[in-house]
Amino acid sequence: MLIDEKVQKTLPDLGVNDAAGVEALFAEVRAAMAAERARLVSCGATSEADRDKLCKDLRDRWLARKNGLLSGVDENWLKKSPKELKPSVGKQFNGLRQESATLEVAALTQDVPVQEQASDHGKVSASDSATTTISQITREVPRDLTLPGNRQPLGSLHPVMQMQREIEEIFLNLGFRIESGPEIETTYYNFDALNIPESHPSRDDWDTLYIDSKTVLRTHTSPVQIRSMEKYGAPLHIIIPGKCYRHDSPDASHSPMFHQIEGLAIASDITFADLKGTLDFFAKKLFGEKIRTRFQPSFFPFTEPSGEVSISCIFCGGDGCRVCKESGWIEVMGCGMVHPQVLRNGGIDPEKYTGWAFGLGVDRFAMMKYDINDIQLFFQSDVRFLRQF
Amino acid sequence: MKISVNWLKEFVEITSTPRELKSDLTMIGLNTESVVAVGDDWVLDVEVTTNRPDCLNHYGVARELATLYRQPLKKIEVAVKESGGPAQDVVSIEISDPDLCARYCGRVVQNVKVGPSPEWLVKRLEAVGQRSINNVADATNYVLMELGHPLHAFDLSRLNQHKIIVRRAKPGEPLRTLDGTDHTLTRDNLVIADGTHPVALAGVMGGQESEISANTRDVLLESAWFEPVSIRRTSKSQGFHTEASHRFERGADIKMAPVALDRTATLIQLIAGGEILTGMIDVYPPPQTRPVLRLLRSEITRILGAEIPAEEIERILRGLGFQVEPSGNETWQVTVPSFRVDVSREVDLVEEVARHVGYDRLPSRVRPAPPRVERDTTRDKVISTSALLVSLGFHEIITTSMVDPAEGGRFSASTPVILANPLSQDASAMRSSAVPSMLRAIRWNLDRDTNDARLFELGKTYSMGANGVPEEHRVLTLGSTGHRRAASVYDSEAPLDFFDLKGDLEAILGTFEIPALAFEPSGPAYFQQGKSGRLVSSGVELAVLGLLQQDLARDYKLRQAVWVAEINFERLLEFPLRTRKFQPISKFPAVERDFSLVVPDEVPYARLSAAIASLAIEEVRGFHPVDRFRGGAIPSGHYSLLLRVTFGSQTRTLTSDEVGELSQRLLTALQGLGAKLRQ
Repeated sequence: MLIDEKVQKTLPDLGVNDAAGVEALFAEVRAAMAAERARLVSCGATSEADRDKLCKDLRDRWLARKNGLLSGVDENWLKKSPKELKPSVGKQFNGLRQESATLEVAALTQDVPVQEQASDHGKVSASDSATTTISQITREVPRDLTLPGNRQPLGSLHPVMQMQREIEEIFLNLGFRIESGPEIETTYYNFDALNIPESHPSRDDWDTLYIDSKTVLRTHTSPVQIRSMEKYGAPLHIIIPGKCYRHDSPDASHSPMFHQIEGLAIASDITFADLKGTLDFFAKKLFGEKIRTRFQPSFFPFTEPSGEVSISCIFCGGDGCRVCKESGWIEVMGCGMVHPQVLRNGGIDPEKYTGWAFGLGVDRFAMMKYDINDIQLFFQSDVRFLRQF
Repeated sequence: MKISVNWLKEFVEITSTPRELKSDLTMIGLNTESVVAVGDDWVLDVEVTTNRPDCLNHYGVARELATLYRQPLKKIEVAVKESGGPAQDVVSIEISDPDLCARYCGRVVQNVKVGPSPEWLVKRLEAVGQRSINNVADATNYVLMELGHPLHAFDLSRLNQHKIIVRRAKPGEPLRTLDGTDHTLTRDNLVIADGTHPVALAGVMGGQESEISANTRDVLLESAWFEPVSIRRTSKSQGFHTEASHRFERGADIKMAPVALDRTATLIQLIAGGEILTGMIDVYPPPQTRPVLRLLRSEITRILGAEIPAEEIERILRGLGFQVEPSGNETWQVTVPSFRVDVSREVDLVEEVARHVGYDRLPSRVRPAPPRVERDTTRDKVISTSALLVSLGFHEIITTSMVDPAEGGRFSASTPVILANPLSQDASAMRSSAVPSMLRAIRWNLDRDTNDARLFELGKTYSMGANGVPEEHRVLTLGSTGHRRAASVYDSEAPLDFFDLKGDLEAILGTFEIPALAFEPSGPAYFQQGKSGRLVSSGVELAVLGLLQQDLARDYKLRQAVWVAEINFERLLEFPLRTRKFQPISKFPAVERDFSLVVPDEVPYARLSAAIASLAIEEVRGFHPVDRFRGGAIPSGHYSLLLRVTFGSQTRTLTSDEVGELSQRLLTALQGLGAKLRQ
């Protein structure tokens, strides 16, 4: 509430019912008074006539016998104050009156500087806003309550990051920890340690961007599996979000840079049942309780047995539509039981421990969830796109 | 791989519909993308993973179906009608490099009549996407599609000295292959040579010179087994990928070589006539042995979490061609067939069982990981920082890490990491600075009439370390342009300026516990002079900010002011998030006092505030600058500063004398810097 409005109300109306409240209220009036004066003094005027007018305006605003703010204080606060508050209101009002002497025109004119022309940036805008301030205070508050609210502009989190966080939350709640690793990776961690020897055609399944013959941009988040095994040993329950790269020309469904999340669980009694159960739980948490999952055999050099997970189509519920190519199912991720050689490469004894792993494309998940048809939109930074999330 | 349903039916009884077949194959790991009608046949498009070369043919797929449908698989039996003299007398075969060629079988068919193939054969080949060439070549292709073994037919008359020598190429030896391209060979390439020079690139493609032509009468058929790695190297280095190399590099079936040879010879005789000379030449230096694996039923249970009955395990493995011998309690000795090059461990057998039991029939359970006490503080920091930025009006962006190497040099002194095989020149280095990406993002928006934008990216920069090891650094980049708020009925529009971004930075850094955080008014050269700065903590730079320098703005075609800040997030993460500790709220009123000061130009606000702070007066609850200007009544070389100070105490209401005294202490300190109270 502006001071202008407050002085039109009585103390009980303002909820002031003790001496401390009175003191605070008057402090507010004094602060407003001082601020308006200081503003005028610091801004100055462009001519003497301008100065005289500004000073008189300010003086009248506060001290005019009729309708001055102080007269309002007198009428509505002092005269109408409850008996028990009267002494403190009176005391405060006297103090206020004394201080208000600085608003007399003579006192003001002395302090308000006059400059021919605004000399620097700060001055100009200050002067502008000073006039605005005074006029704003006296301006009528808009009464059209149907006007839109005065909203602060809010930003947005990138949809891929929102999806990543959502997936992370599900696994954090299952007791997993988040791990990360370098994007510029050695061929050992990216391929060899994962059972993808250079000599085997399976390596061609990853179109790779090379730095040199021993260094690549990681083609998946799987190298962090080995790095984490080496770092922590077993048991291990981690997920690994991160950027990956492939030698793919950009189009609506491909991007040379994309985001993956890898999951890995290693313990002494993990079975394929845990893999199925956990990923089914995950899919239901993410896409809804009604989602069904389907596991079919597949091949990844670093898992055995390997699988591909499909979910019942989130668009048609499994009846068949354009998105699921009439099959009722959408393939969403690769998974499998960690290959014993991969465990060994990570320094874990495959006779004692078993594990499962999965890998999914976060960008693809976000495209599915938000019905986005072009992966390039994620990387264009277009505010018209971003502010929708 | 295209698979004809009619062809499959030659080996196994199929009663399911093509649609069911598509789904059944998919569910045993032969992902079938489509099934289409071709004449009276159905053709399946089966995606065969790189580990399963045995399924790159009809017989292999039929074997899977026979196991799945519990049907017998027809055996391949070929009765060869031989005539004439021994083939050995007509041609000699020798393997010089047995490490690269483990077996070479040959047969000679004389007096063939090369011509078009019969219609049934042409149709079959066409159904599976193969073009008919002539009856001899088609016969080899037919057997390739049927049994998966690549064969080659030579015009025997073109082989000098009627000799076949399988050897490494001599450096620089030339060969023109069937497709008409010329190759210069190296020691890494295995060739089939005749008595004088190479006539085929082994396992990849035949030579043009010895190609079957209309005039060919005598044919030498080759059915060999080449070492996968060498085929892969040759096919890569010579830039070839053929149906033959595709199978050899994945691993062909060494035992299929003679069978496929007999089948092809018989087929040629059937469709092109001729006599098959007596005897197969089979150079098979030390015959390969197949691995024998021990399989425990308990291991299957350990991996799958399911009890699979012993009979079921035996049925599946035998159906798939494994020899299964019981050896003790729920234990088997399993001999891996020669066509299953992917099976070398017990766990591979577990997968075979799982595939044919059906993944969907295996049990499922959810168990959380053991609970953990530690928090993920890095994630906490990332989340709190990005949440704050969103509330400050920033949109999060993700931009590519791959940029033009020329670009980074203007923003970073570090050595960029260069890609050896980039997609394009403008994506040929890993970015050494995230600023260019931010500028592009802003430009993208300005070009699309989004003139007010505040963006942030929490990403990485990359550089080549002094030791040649690439390094990655986390950076937070902010970019802002346009107005801090748009014009509305409530406010007039206000352009963004330095202090908006500085305020945002202070808010971000303020959520961390950073000792001795200080501002220094000088940023890197890509900012405009006098409009940049840096935030440091104990001499360590945490962030820089400023207005983009004009030349750069022009180069990036930015037509309005762009403010940029870079935060070294890697360093920021070293600080803990600020811990909150409640300060009791005073029961006594606070008093505000305004000080109208005249300050010499050379004394910036930071020094005044430091002076007040160093007094450490408990009753000074806070202070901030309310107004600042120059000129007018203010003497030149000075500026006017209105400073508002709040005084208060936890224990009592301060008297005006006390406030006056404290004010005097402040003033004395400020006067020490040359500041004076305005009269």
